[in-house]
Amino acid sequence: MSESLEKLHNRILSDARLKAAGIVEQAEEKSKQILEDAKTQAQRDANDILSRASLEAESIRRSILSSRIRTNRLRILDEKNKIVQGVLKSVEQHLSDIANTDQFEPTLKRLVLEAVEAVGTDNALVKVGFRNAQKKNLQSLGQSLPKGTKLLADDTPIDDLGGVVANDPEGKTIFNNSFKARIERLDNQLLATIASTIFG
Amino acid sequence: METEGQAKRIVEEAQSTAEEILARASEEAQKVRQTSTAEAELRKVQMLRETREKAEADARSSDVETDSLLENYKKLFENRKDDAAKKAVKLVLGV
Repeated sequence: MSESLEKLHNRILSDARLKAAGIVEQAEEKSKQILEDAKTQAQRDANDILSRASLEAESIRRSILSSRIRTNRLRILDEKNKIVQGVLKSVEQHLSDIANTDQFEPTLKRLVLEAVEAVGTDNALVKVGFRNAQKKNLQSLGQSLPKGTKLLADDTPIDDLGGVVANDPEGKTIFNNSFKARIERLDNQLLATIASTIFG
Repeated sequence: METEGQAKRIVEEAQSTAEEILARASEEAQKVRQTSTAEAELRKVQMLRETREKAEADARSSDVETDSLLENYKKLFENRKDDAAKKAVKLVLGV
């Protein structure tokens, strides 16, 4: 083999090796890129999974806590309501028994005068009815009434708890001053007074 | 002719090596993503379990707090009911 042929032979092989090295190097570069891309995508997928999990966790937390907290708030409201109703019952009992106390006469006088004044006539008709009230107690009131006022004593307590109802002779203007009516009119104030006294 | 054949073989071997490298890279990439997803799913399960446990504990603590509040209300009622009734009666009587 001549020297020049030998050189050509070596040159061909050297070019082939160079080309081969390039091919492998390119593949390695691409391989690195594939892995980098995969890692980036994997991180993105993981973040996505965890971010959705975070939302799901918040929703689970809310559903567990909100229903329990709602239930507990209702328990508290229910208990407070029971307590206030318990006090109101005792108030009603006290009012219903007022004829047996020394508060009866001044209370009766006040209720009647208020009712007569509210009706605004000289000939008011006043119906009075309390549990266990003695007729003589009712009649003693007659002297302190405005002239022309007619008093009717009812055997049964007005609106269950007792009280007074006044109206004009035509029955057009009626003022209910029974304890029940007064409780209804004072509803908000009563609840506030009871609640603030009990719960502070 | 023999030299050219040898050169061709060298290039073909390199191509085959390159294909192997790329196939391994794809396989590796797949594994990376699978592993990462599996880890994230595990962390998700753990996160949800911890959240649920913490919420249940908070809910239990709210129950205990409420029980104690209700107990306190009962005591307040016993101690203050007469005073409250007295004030309410005065209000109704207009005293």
